[in-house]
Amino acid sequence: MTSLAAARGEVGRLSGRMAVVRGFLRGLTGPALLGLHRRRSLHGAPRSLAYAKELFLGSIVKEEVFPYPEITNEELNEINQFVGPVEKFFNEDVDSKKIDHDAKIPPETLEGLKSLGLFGMQIPEEYGGLGLSNTMYARLGEIISLDGSIAVTLAAHQAIGLKGILIAGTDEQKAKYLPKLASGEHVAAFCLTEPGSGSDAASIQTRATATADGKHFLLNGSKVWISNGGLADIFTVFARTEVVEDGKTKDKITAFIVEKAFGGVASGKPEDKLGIRGSNTTEVHFENTKVPVENIIGELGGGFKVAMNILNSGRFSMGSACAGIIKKLIELTAEYACTRKQFNKRLSEFGLIQDKFALMTQRTYVMESMAYLTAGMMDRPGLPDCSVEAAMVKVFSSESAWLCISEALQILGGLGYMKDYPYERYLRDCRILLIFEGTNEILRMYIALTGMQHAGKLLTEKIKEMKKGNVGVAVGMFVKKLRDSLGRKVDFGLTGKEGVVHPSLEESAKKLEENTYYFGCLVESLLYRFGKTVVDEQLALKRVADILINLYAMTATISRASRSMRIGLRNHDHEILLTNMFCSEAYFKNNYLMAELSKHAPENLDDSIKKIATTVLDKRAYVCSHPLERNF
Amino acid sequence: MKCVRVLLPLLARDSYGDPLALGQAWGLRRTFSCAQTPNMCLSRGFRTSMRKPTSKPAPTKREEEAQPNPKSLVTFEDPFKRFDQDCRNKATFSHVLNVFCKKDVRRRGHVEFIYAALQKMPEFGVERDLRVYNALLDIFPKEVFVPQNSIQRMFNHYPRQQECGVQVLEQMERYGILPDAETKFLLLQIFGQKSHPFLKYRRMMYWFPKFKNINPYPVPYPLPCDPVDIAKLSLQRISADLDARITVYQMPSVEEKTRITHPYIVGIQSPDQQSLLQKHSPDRPVYVEGPFPLWLKKTCVYYYLLRAELLPPGEKEEEEDIDPERNFYFPMQLDLDLERDLGDDDSFDVNEVEEGPVFAMCMVGSEDQATLAQWIRGLQETNPILGHIPVVFRLESGPLKIQAETEMEETYEEEALQSQKLKQ
Repeated sequence: MTSLAAARGEVGRLSGRMAVVRGFLRGLTGPALLGLHRRRSLHGAPRSLAYAKELFLGSIVKEEVFPYPEITNEELNEINQFVGPVEKFFNEDVDSKKIDHDAKIPPETLEGLKSLGLFGMQIPEEYGGLGLSNTMYARLGEIISLDGSIAVTLAAHQAIGLKGILIAGTDEQKAKYLPKLASGEHVAAFCLTEPGSGSDAASIQTRATATADGKHFLLNGSKVWISNGGLADIFTVFARTEVVEDGKTKDKITAFIVEKAFGGVASGKPEDKLGIRGSNTTEVHFENTKVPVENIIGELGGGFKVAMNILNSGRFSMGSACAGIIKKLIELTAEYACTRKQFNKRLSEFGLIQDKFALMTQRTYVMESMAYLTAGMMDRPGLPDCSVEAAMVKVFSSESAWLCISEALQILGGLGYMKDYPYERYLRDCRILLIFEGTNEILRMYIALTGMQHAGKLLTEKIKEMKKGNVGVAVGMFVKKLRDSLGRKVDFGLTGKEGVVHPSLEESAKKLEENTYYFGCLVESLLYRFGKTVVDEQLALKRVADILINLYAMTATISRASRSMRIGLRNHDHEILLTNMFCSEAYFKNNYLMAELSKHAPENLDDSIKKIATTVLDKRAYVCSHPLERNF
Repeated sequence: MKCVRVLLPLLARDSYGDPLALGQAWGLRRTFSCAQTPNMCLSRGFRTSMRKPTSKPAPTKREEEAQPNPKSLVTFEDPFKRFDQDCRNKATFSHVLNVFCKKDVRRRGHVEFIYAALQKMPEFGVERDLRVYNALLDIFPKEVFVPQNSIQRMFNHYPRQQECGVQVLEQMERYGILPDAETKFLLLQIFGQKSHPFLKYRRMMYWFPKFKNINPYPVPYPLPCDPVDIAKLSLQRISADLDARITVYQMPSVEEKTRITHPYIVGIQSPDQQSLLQKHSPDRPVYVEGPFPLWLKKTCVYYYLLRAELLPPGEKEEEEDIDPERNFYFPMQLDLDLERDLGDDDSFDVNEVEEGPVFAMCMVGSEDQATLAQWIRGLQETNPILGHIPVVFRLESGPLKIQAETEMEETYEEEALQSQKLKQ
């Protein structure tokens, strides 16, 4: 408890310092900031960041991602002073094994988290929160993620649970609810999923009906798999409401803030889960819960946008969280590999073991780079829309985490499988990352379709001309194709004299440029071929998303390594090595994916895939005869 | 290996006088067919006698008995006719074969006998029994018809016998009986490697397995006897939807007092059909149509449909636009003014043949409107909307004639089933 008290004291001091920092604009160094202002004044409109979207057009907007976002020294000191006590708390006062075994976070641990202020990390200071920027939130996420149950509890509370109030709530709502939520006195939960509804808004059955006096809504329905369902006092609930639109009554989704104290709220028993067992997941039932009209988030019938914004804004932090876990695992497994001897050799001397360490290091480096680049972009002034980037971070980091933890277990051999050691818990905990906050499949669709929509709007005219058989456009295309086939040098100015990339990364930057250029051509041809029906080409869209994720990952690593090189961070040569290695790998993967996407490519097995799946699904079973079966 | 080679001549020398002993010593088993084994040497003698008519084998006792009046007419009695309808089964059939084999070591008239047996097989209900076919082939004397030299091989050696062997296989083929290793061994023993029956066998073995599982919707054999079970099976077959639910609205029964028979009513409906019916406008009638025939191998059954007419083109409902606020995670449609390119447009209609929706199907025990009305009443329980929609019965009387034929067909089938049972 002494460490807790100390931590609390430190937090108190820090809160004071935060006010000083508040004056500084976050996320950017001086010159870059100036550049930003200049650009903003040129555009005039509220800027929307569009690095990923522009990639779909085959161009690199290098101002968006170079130089790699930095935080000021003050901010760095501030966050470092935060990190210390939190790290200490997690190392000394959190017994992850017990949490996992009892499937419950002990009250003292929760108290500790509250006193550290971790329940209100992103709530502004005026409402009693820490008011952390996205970058700083990501940094703390690295440590919090060391216990999956706590990380999910906190994320359900603030990344989605109270996010609605934070981004769409009125000042009164904020003043009423945020202070208690920030202190952790109240816990929030996000109630969207229903027994018959995952991502389909039309199948939401929970209904809110207005009372006769028009001052209240009566809420009826059930929600399932609600994180913090049993702990929460404040629920963000999405329900159908009748809305009059153009003289017709329509059912639309509305978001409500529901207090447990309103009555009629009941939660089921905690679900028994594979991983994150300490987090509280329950059903929540609402029976004639009386919700005052003031508790509508956003406007009546505007719940869909609220839900989308909440979901889109919460994802970026997963990158740093996964990086935190794997960094920890690298330490643990490296210790093991360097001490265990087999055949008079240390494990660490075996090539196959080294391979695994290289993989883990590389993936960690990439996801860290992506996460902090995205967080930095989100911290820029204006209201940047980084939802595509955030989704890419989520997909890449969750899949890498699963792979890396699996490899770490492989290094440990049988030891990793034993319940006496923490490793299997990491594996179980991290499986959920691929599923929640939008499954990776769904997010791939989001990534690809958002980009396709953006590119399609700009390319429609051109493609139409081409389809009409406009000679000018056709000749232009032909010349372009001819030039490409004669060995075109793609140059977006990343390298060279005016370049933003360090010369030691020139090769990687060239690969990025080439991939991007051909990706642009590919998107155009996909739009030409499928038009708006590309929505139904999920196998193609998956590849598009994968290419984009690779391109963004390449960008992030190149940008980060360039900065490290330029300012001479420790071990920057190691970063260069990792970046060049990752970029070469990603370059080949991209080329392969693009070859698959081009028409009539033999590598493309989509037809076979579909046929196999249809046969099996028609019979709803594996249809092949048993190998021991005889026909005569 | 080397020591084995050394051992071999030694052993051979030891058991020189007894080649069988050698075979036993090396674990070589020659399989002789049961009926043939005792006569093996004799039939061997026959073959040589064919080549050298002068050297006659010593006649057996039974032959001597037959010899005294060689020129008198032989009374021919169909051995299969000895058994009347009731006791024609596998046992009696095998008995006839046995009697024939035992009667005459030379198997005189075996070709005629085999032809006759082939004809009688269905009557004895053994037309699908592989063992019986093998027993039939076993009647052929062994090794007699195997060509011994290239000249014999070149010309049709024993054409009548070969043709008969082919006919046996032909009948197996007709009933879908796949030969087994024993058949192969018998054919090799009787006709040898390069004969027509063996060629036929090889062709059968090539094609049969390939066609065996070619039907993706196999009809079970034998078909169930209970008409309710057949109805369930047929309805599942037609609807081809794993979600479809079978309901038995009425089991067949006879009331003791009034002697009123209640025919069976079995219906099927899938959730999709249910929702289609739910959407059906009550202004338009639905039709009960039928009976339509369905053949399950030799059995014909009849089913009825509950369906509606196709909406006239003007009133066709436009496909609902997807609400843009439908999916929380990704856009369900793109706001683009680009259609699919012709080169990638794989959807094509042969003739746009559209039929009205089918809402449910049923099979009933008696083909009258009252029974079908009872089915509709049963359907109403799960589809309350049927109470508001006018139901029109459009029953055709035509198939009644076919029905009579089917009854015949069914009695035939029943017979077959009975014989099947007896056989078991």
